[in-house]
Amino acid sequence: MPLLPSLYNVAFWLCRNTHDAEDLVQETFLKALRGFASFEPGSNFKAWIFRILRNSYLTSRSGLAARRTVGLEDELSESGESGPAQVPEAAIERQTPEVNLLQMADRAALQTAMESLPAPLLEVILLCDVEEMKYREIAATLEIPMGTVMSRIARARAALRASLAAQQRSPREFRA
Amino acid sequence: MTDHLSQTILNALADGELSEGQLAGTNQHLAGCPACTSNALYQCLLKQATAKAGQRYEAPAHLLERLARLGTQADSRSQASNIGTASGSSSRPMRGFGLLGWAAAAVLLIASVTVTLVQRANQRAEMASAERGALVSEVFDQHIATLAGNLPLQVVSTDRHTVKPWFQGKIPFSFNLPQGLPSDTTLDGANLTYMHNQPVAQLLYSIGRHRVSVFLRQRMGPSEMDQSPTERSGFHVMGFGTNDLEAVAISDVDPVRLDELTSAIKHAQTEEQKQSK
Repeated sequence: MPLLPSLYNVAFWLCRNTHDAEDLVQETFLKALRGFASFEPGSNFKAWIFRILRNSYLTSRSGLAARRTVGLEDELSESGESGPAQVPEAAIERQTPEVNLLQMADRAALQTAMESLPAPLLEVILLCDVEEMKYREIAATLEIPMGTVMSRIARARAALRASLAAQQRSPREFRA
Repeated sequence: MTDHLSQTILNALADGELSEGQLAGTNQHLAGCPACTSNALYQCLLKQATAKAGQRYEAPAHLLERLARLGTQADSRSQASNIGTASGSSSRPMRGFGLLGWAAAAVLLIASVTVTLVQRANQRAEMASAERGALVSEVFDQHIATLAGNLPLQVVSTDRHTVKPWFQGKIPFSFNLPQGLPSDTTLDGANLTYMHNQPVAQLLYSIGRHRVSVFLRQRMGPSEMDQSPTERSGFHVMGFGTNDLEAVAISDVDPVRLDELTSAIKHAQTEEQKQSK
């Protein structure tokens, strides 16, 4: 079961607690066992099982709660997703790569920034950066167009950069 | 230089998603634009840092063991169907085998069968427990979704003669709704939903201010739920069934009152069967 650690890691990021993450992984595993006949040999198994995980998450208590609390569809209006990302240009231009490197070396700061991402942005960044999926695989997993994958990745990284910049400006207040 | 690379291009560069033509154009731009070069470097560093920071949660050993057991059981089930043919092809006549040898073989056979049966029973119990847990999770999620959603019920009526006929042609089974309900209990309506790829009738009742969901589906085998209530996050889940139907009820109401409602629904099914005979 080589993908179970990955499934659990993503499940925990999405659910944010042990019990729900374990339930989600077990539900995914059982659904995969029951529905294995529907898996087409030669297609992408990783995308298939992560799609089961993601769909299970959407109907889970954690997924429903996330949709209610952050108003995902309102925040991520599809019309805005294909447009240019809102990048804090000042933060980019005035920081040297050395400063950025030091800043990003703070793993806890980055994890805090990731925790603040809404679920659609977090899941796309986890699949892209942590699971090293290609855009085409992410699109298949999340059942969204590839253009939406690209715009969500741009939004997610812009949000991470903004969050890291905010932490750097006022580290005490932000982490309090 | 006024036109900088877009964030989408910079991200695609960091993710290795640019085509050869795009990559050549991007490299040409980066050679003459320090701002975009800095930006591209940042994106690459951010990607690397995110990959490391994202590897945060390790699956607990007990979860891996539990899933491994479930996987092993699934394998053994699929292999079980092949045992007959496999044993038939491998059996060969044995010669020069003394009485003692036969006795020892019989003892070993009995011991191995016993161990196998015990292991199978344990695995079946674990599988049943896991499936029961999955069913409770699904029922729980559907009930919460019904309470939380802004969508109205698919059929809104307190009249059982309106709710029951609404399902005609939508589900491959029929059911009966009780004429008399326990005190302070009303039928609110129903939804057509799906659980484990099966169509399910979700009946919505109110007991006082508490909402109750009763999920009715066609029985496909042994019941997955016990009659005894299971508690989950303050909600009580109770299973019951007839020869043809399996039902699961969930609510945060007192289990005694939930039992009164499920008994009425169960009684309505059996009464219907008696009348039809």
